[in-house]
Formats: sequence, structure tokens, C-alpha cells
Amino acid sequence: MKPKVNRRNFLKAVGAGSAVTASAGLWFFGTQAGQDPASYTGMTNREGGFQTFNRRKWSVSKPTYEKVGETSRPDARTEVIFARMGQIRGYDKAKGLGEFPQHVQDYYKAHPEDLELDTTVRQEIHAKRSEEIKKPHDEFILSKAWSSAMGAVGPRGVNAPPEKWDFPRGSNTPYKMKDPKRTSRLIKKISHQFGSTLVGIAKLNPDWVYKYPMNGGRGFKANEPMEVPEHWQYAIVVGVPMSWDPMYANPPYGTSNDAYSLSRIVAHRLTAFIKNLGYAARPHTPGADYDLMVPPIMVDAGLGEQGRHSIVITPELGCNFRPSIVTTNIPMAPDKPIDIGVQDFCKTCKVCAKQCPSGAISHGEKVEIRGYKRYALHSSKCSNFWSSKLGNMGCRLCVAVCPYTRKSNWLHQAALNVSLHDPTGLSDIALAKMQEVFYPGQEPQKYYMPSMGGENASYRPVPWWLKTDDFIDTADGE
Amino acid sequence: MWFFTSGAFWFIEGILCALAVIGLKVWMEDRNTPMRLWKWVLVGAWMLLLGFTIAFIGTSVGENEMVAAKKGGIIFSVICVIFGAVVWQLLQIGRVKNTGDLKTDKNEEV
Ligand code: SF4
Ligand code: SF4
Repeated sequence: MKPKVNRRNFLKAVGAGSAVTASAGLWFFGTQAGQDPASYTGMTNREGGFQTFNRRKWSVSKPTYEKVGETSRPDARTEVIFARMGQIRGYDKAKGLGEFPQHVQDYYKAHPEDLELDTTVRQEIHAKRSEEIKKPHDEFILSKAWSSAMGAVGPRGVNAPPEKWDFPRGSNTPYKMKDPKRTSRLIKKISHQFGSTLVGIAKLNPDWVYKYPMNGGRGFKANEPMEVPEHWQYAIVVGVPMSWDPMYANPPYGTSNDAYSLSRIVAHRLTAFIKNLGYAARPHTPGADYDLMVPPIMVDAGLGEQGRHSIVITPELGCNFRPSIVTTNIPMAPDKPIDIGVQDFCKTCKVCAKQCPSGAISHGEKVEIRGYKRYALHSSKCSNFWSSKLGNMGCRLCVAVCPYTRKSNWLHQAALNVSLHDPTGLSDIALAKMQEVFYPGQEPQKYYMPSMGGENASYRPVPWWLKTDDFIDTADGE
Repeated sequence: MWFFTSGAFWFIEGILCALAVIGLKVWMEDRNTPMRLWKWVLVGAWMLLLGFTIAFIGTSVGENEMVAAKKGGIIFSVICVIFGAVVWQLLQIGRVKNTGDLKTDKNEEV
């Protein structure tokens, strides 16, 4: 006899089965979304397909930094830590600063704490580090090899002043561009084609150009004031991410070299492209090949807002990117700055300040720097920490811990959208709290090397493909 | 793009949800519990919360963020259970006990 099935019971059973299956499906969706290669924003360029944020909706007429006083241009010789380190070389405490150039004396008179940090403290740290690196540190073999390889390819730096270097060779008459808006569109498309994840265009504010060049490189004479060349009318900002998984394993395992290298390549390609159209162009690229400050130009170009840690936060990559700039005179329509609520979020968040092992990031309010209000960053403390740990060069921990630096999956996109659309600011408080509870870091002291009381810790575990032990036999030749 | 993050997955997920809703409807009818619009809204909200909780834990595990998976999982699961219990109590409003069937085809066979 054919078994009889009650129709209503059948529907209930199907419903219950469907609910269980749908729940299981959501579990698998979640685990795959967490690992999805497509969430590694920018790691394949997708021809600009990653620059998806609707900036027009959040554009504002004024940048989110505040102009509060008389502005002045930065003196790169002392205000850029890499240049300052060169300026104070050979310092002897007993002799004092008397033999150093006036600008060095003036800087350290105004910043006495930096003198101690840049000399005595740094020497002590370097001595400890020299001892420490004598011991074998096998755990970094793969990450160092990877970092070094990532930095192995890059175009030659700029070696002549703007009036010589920036212009196309020969008597190229610039092609007549039809319309600045179209040119902007073209430049953006081409930048993405060259490998950039992000691109924005700003009218260049001369306040961001150095008053004195860093170390007299790039064709500038040391200690001679720099004029802002007339043909530096626009700044095109490009940016690419650092590999996501190692970036979360900072400070010791991450590297900037991958993004530095690609960012430089993109900027030099873009420079060549613009010169081929007959216009002037000059790349300003990482590590330290700059004639200007990058973060405020990124803000002007609408790519993001400057955070408490001084790095620009973008909606797509958070602060996980390395930018380059091309200054040019090809006529373009600049982008507008955006306001995505970073200024308010940073007021409550402070995760970077709490995690920063060196105490370089301010816990306090913004201060006036050269006529603009922003959070202060103690670059001497920051750079001293770079030598207080082992592994790859640099730190980048503030990049890794910032809640905006998240891969692009539904969860983090949803959090960003809640923060963007909540006018009360309550969600910012909740999200900042969630960041601390759900994504905690280490005790800051643990990030130091053992001889400085730490464990050489990383924010997140090293990715499997950088685990030396799993691939290299490091046991003493038995 | 993997299957579970593809459009095809969400298509199937939609069908499964629809079947679950039909099952719930039949079940509530059999329990002589009328379902009003506001009740469906509550059920929908609870389903969203449950879905969010499961997907949150899964995504955190996928990202290797075990602290988020554990802490978030506990917090959101507790909220989900409490909200579920409240919704269940509210669904009982208007239930007719021990009377005849609301549907005449209750014992229909297929
Ligand atoms: S790079 Fe490291 S030391 Fe420097 S500010 Fe960021 S977290 Fe602090
Ligand atoms: S970690 Fe928090 S406070 Fe620091 S920059 Fe990011 S959002 Fe701002």
C-alpha cells in the first residue's frame, strides 16, 4: 500500500528542513566571506573595480582638516624624521649642538625631547639591537626574503630639478586636451590600468610643498629654499595596498616594500604617460623620494581623511595603502574632499594610540601645526620603535589595528555603512568598543624585542606562507 | 568568487527562506495562531538577527578572528535567544485554544 503523507505535515517538515539548511548555508557563506580572495581589496587591480565608494555622495566643499592660523611650509630637513636623522649624525653630547647648522639648532631648541630621543636613546636602542640580532632569528627568514624580493623592482628616482626633469625631452608641444573633466577621467582610468587601486586628483596647495628639500636630493641643492614650480598645478594621488595578511602580522612580519614598489611603478608610468602627451610631470614616491607632504594632498584629492595616527583613512582600504603623487600641469578637473566621519570616529576610538608601542600617537586633542589643526605624531618615538623590534623594517601596527583597515567583506562594509549613515554618532561609540572587545591587540610592551622587555609579538599570527619552520629546516646541522 | 559568496547561493537561500516561512505559516495555522503583518515583521527581524549571528561567527572564523567569533558569537547568540523568546510569546497573541481547525484542509493528503 502506498504510504500516505499528510500535506500540512510535509510542508512543515520542508519548512523546518529549509530553515536548518538556510542556517547552514549562512555559516558556509560566512566562512567563505572571511577568506574570499575578492575581499583582499586591491590585491588584483581589476582595472579600478575596487574603487567603488560613492565619493560624490560624501563630498564636501572644504577639506576636513582645519586652517586655524597663518600657514607655513614644512622644512623637510628637520621635520621629516629620515632627513633629521641625517642632520644630527655625529652628535656628541659633551660638545652640544654648537657645530651644527642653525636650522638644526633651532629645531632642537624648540623640541628638546627630540634631541634626547634622536641621539642618546637611539644609540642605546641600536646597541641593544646589535646584540640582539647576533642571535639566530630563524622565524623571520621567509618574511625577510619576501620583503626584500618585494623591494627588488622599482624605477630609478628623480635626479634633476623640476625645470629640467619634469618636462618632456625635445620640443614636444603639448597636445590640446578637449576638456579637463575628460582628462581627469582618462588619467584615473590609466592609473588603474597601471596598477593603482586608488586614484584622486587635487589642485596643488603650495602649503604642502617643502620649504627646504629633504637632503638635497632630487636635483635640489641642500639648504637652499625650494620655490614651488609654476607647472605643479595639480597633484594626482595613486595608492596601492600592502598585502593584507602579512600587514595584520605587523610589526615584525609585514612589509611596506610590496606597496612601495608598485606605487612607484604606477607613478613613474603615469609620469611617462603625461610627458608623452607633452605636459610636465614629476613623481613623488616612497620610501623618501618626495618634495611634498602626501597626507593633506590625499585629503584634498578626496581619497579620505587624516586619522589620529596621521595616516589618511580611505573608505576602500582604510589606511592599508602606500601612496605616490604626480605633480603636473595637464589641465584636469580636481576631485572634492570627502567627509566620511573619521574626525568624529577618531575622537572616541583611540585604538591606535592605545596600541602604539612607542607612545608616538596622541591620546589628546588636535594641536596647531603650521597653521592647521591636526593630531600630533611624535616621529622620533615612532622611528626609535622601528629599531626596538626584530623582523622586517618598520612597524605599521597603527595601520593594522585601525578599525577602518579591514578587508572588504559584508561584515566590515556593513559596519562602515552604519557609521556613515548614523547622524547620532552612537554607532561610532559602539563600533569603537566592538573593535576593542572583538579585535583586541597585544599588550604594547610585547611588541618590543626581548632585550627591551618584549616578545617581538605581532598583532595577528604570521600567515602560513611566511612560517619559516614549516618550509626550512633550521636545526643545527645534525 | 566562491559558491557561497555568489549570487546563486543567495538565490537558493531565498528559496529556502520562503519554504521556511511557508512551513511556519502552516504550523501556526495548525496551532490556531493567527499571523498578522506585525507578527511577520517580528519573525523577519528575528530571522535577520539569527542570520547575522551565524554569518558573523562564520566570517570571523574565516578571517581567523577567533576572539571576535567567540565573544561576538556569545553576545549575539544571547541577544538572539532572548529576542526569539520574546517574539515567540508575542506570536501567541490571539491564539485560540482547543477549538476546531482554522483550516479545513488540515488532514489533506498528498
Ligand atoms: S608605526 Fe608603530 S610606532 Fe609608529 S606610530 Fe604607528 S604604531 Fe606607533
Ligand atoms: S585607530 Fe581609531 S583613532 Fe586611530 S586613526 Fe583609526 S579610527 Fe582613528
